[in-house]
Amino acid sequence: MRWLLGLAMALSFEAVAQKAEARLDCIHTGKDFIYDCVIEIMRQGQPVTDLDVRMSADMPSMPMAHQVKPVTARATSTPGEYRAHLDLEMSGEWAVKLRLAGPLRDQLVLHYEFDERGARPVRGSGRPPRK
Amino acid sequence: MAPVVDFLQNCLDGLSAGAAYALLAVGFTLIFGVLRRANLSYGPAIMLGAYAATWLFLQTGAGLLVLFAVAVLATVLAGTYVERLCFAPHRKGAAAAAMVASFAIWMQLEELATLLLPRHLYAFPALYEGGPLTFGPFFVRVESLLILLAAVAVCVAGWKVLYATRFGIAVRAVIDDPRAAELSGIDVGAVSLRIFAVASAIGGATGFLIVASHEQVTPMLGMWSTLKGMLAMMLGGLGSLPGAIAGGLALGLIEAHSQWYFGPQFRDFIAYLLLFVLLAARPPWMNTRSAY
Amino acid sequence: MDEYAIGVLTSVGLLSFVATSAYLLLIAGELSFGQQAFFGVGAYAAGIATAMLGLPLFLGLLIAMACGAAVAALVGLPALRLRGLYFAMATLAAAEMLRILFELFHWQVEVGGEVVGPDGTQGFRGIRWVFERGVEPLGFLALVWGMLAVVLVVIHLLERTRLGSAVRALGEDPELAGTLGIDVLRLKLAVVAAAGALAALGGALFAHHNTYIEPRNFDIMLGVHTLAYALIGGLGTVVGPLLGVALDLGLLEGTRVFQGYRMIVFGGLVALLLIWRPRGLLDERVVHWLRTRR
Repeated sequence: MRWLLGLAMALSFEAVAQKAEARLDCIHTGKDFIYDCVIEIMRQGQPVTDLDVRMSADMPSMPMAHQVKPVTARATSTPGEYRAHLDLEMSGEWAVKLRLAGPLRDQLVLHYEFDERGARPVRGSGRPPRK
Repeated sequence: MAPVVDFLQNCLDGLSAGAAYALLAVGFTLIFGVLRRANLSYGPAIMLGAYAATWLFLQTGAGLLVLFAVAVLATVLAGTYVERLCFAPHRKGAAAAAMVASFAIWMQLEELATLLLPRHLYAFPALYEGGPLTFGPFFVRVESLLILLAAVAVCVAGWKVLYATRFGIAVRAVIDDPRAAELSGIDVGAVSLRIFAVASAIGGATGFLIVASHEQVTPMLGMWSTLKGMLAMMLGGLGSLPGAIAGGLALGLIEAHSQWYFGPQFRDFIAYLLLFVLLAARPPWMNTRSAY
Repeated sequence: MDEYAIGVLTSVGLLSFVATSAYLLLIAGELSFGQQAFFGVGAYAAGIATAMLGLPLFLGLLIAMACGAAVAALVGLPALRLRGLYFAMATLAAAEMLRILFELFHWQVEVGGEVVGPDGTQGFRGIRWVFERGVEPLGFLALVWGMLAVVLVVIHLLERTRLGSAVRALGEDPELAGTLGIDVLRLKLAVVAAAGALAALGGALFAHHNTYIEPRNFDIMLGVHTLAYALIGGLGTVVGPLLGVALDLGLLEGTRVFQGYRMIVFGGLVALLLIWRPRGLLDERVVHWLRTRR
């Protein structure tokens, strides 16, 4: 029940969220709708390493209808890069969700169009535009 | 002069789009008139028909006539399936169950179609290879004229069937009062099934005409047909075939003008607003006899 | 608990708000294809309240419910005398109009050096009140289910009062209900408003779960799906809709083998189920049977 106490405490404290930017590069593995994705995470232009990255996805036009299994993206040899297989149920536009933990805590939503080849970005980096 | 030209051109565009809506509305109206229920699978059945034709085209490059036949046949098969599974069992009972069942089969048919052809866009052979007809500053696509012709033909044929055949008498009796029709010996179940088949055939033909005139097929066809068909049916007063045609043409005109003067988002908004206002005001010609 | 399970359960909870909202109208005798719009109203209202006006979550939830009820009443009032398919089409038309309004809604303010707010079709990013307080998925799940439980208990208790009987009487036979002294129109409006508030509450929670909403989230598919869940689960008890949601999402989770065929299987099962049980699994007969076993 620790999480209940944590919830109560969290709801009463301020916390400062740290903002990140991310980019996806996905290739269709050829099987089902499984994509091999490389995620590049940056903060103020600098790559962020040692993050715990969890990735999942939802379809904008049918929210919560496809429960995509969240996957942990593993860090690659390149700093700021993480890699995972994303198993989608169909092609089309997906809102990819990245939950970051560790040195940087953030939650990003990126829109990508997935087809037989890979993924193309539909919108920006997932952050509200800087003023 | 120019605004008048624009206005008239918009009218032409509206009638062109409206012809397709009219045909869709006719199918919905036939089913609604006889069964007193909305068939949410009508659009998806049409989509399945169009997809079947597209699949055949991709496999064999068949000609338009064959594709037309396949589209109609596939739609009729799908429609019959829907009738047997979703409407026949609930004839005496709750309308909600029938409509929700038809929604469930909508999902089923759409998934079947996308399994057949997974991509988001497929090319379809053109209905007419030439360019639009021009007269003065105006132009009309030949495809749209063909669809309008089809709508008129369906109307005339429908009128003939309804008023000059025994089947037509039975249909009119069921539309008027299903219980009385049953008591006078009419097999309401058989009438429903046959009307479903007729409506599906019209739907299949409509789907073929639409994808052939746009030269493409997308997965949006199912939902689009359902929305436009139901909207047109209700605008036209929900009850008569001429009403369906009028509703379809009216919807086309409203959309064309709204889009011209206010932009694409307002095009849909105004159509929905008009429907809502009409429903709320319930003018006598809207035929608000009990919907179930 | 595994993160995937938490995700599925959270979705079940959130969708149950909309499904229960459709249920309220169903037992009052009406089909609504439009509850998704109030889900959206709640989402935008709560998002604006917490992300742009800096209000705490519980105020955001209250504002969302108030907006949901108000918009529902506004839309329901002209359509009140409509029945059956006419009412359903009116709800569809209203819902699509609201969705298009979301697409046209641009209002952005500067918060902490960033521009935040609804940006038409681009959606509304940065609804991070819950996230920024370090609430983990399990905690949010507890919040969603806690609120859902309260709502279900309240509705269940109300159903056993005269108000509940009046609503069901309205659903069974409005003319008869009228002759029994029930103010049919006012009661119907009350149900419409309550259903709107309920869907809006779900939307508010959804917005904070996702941190990002867009008009496309609130389209017809959501509405028709949740309506189906309500009917499948059963109209005999307020947990019926929840059952319907759980069945679909549960079937999805439990049958990886059906991948790509899920809707074919589920759609067929639903149609068959409705033949056997036109008012859902937990319909009035079953619930009565369960109650009288005591």
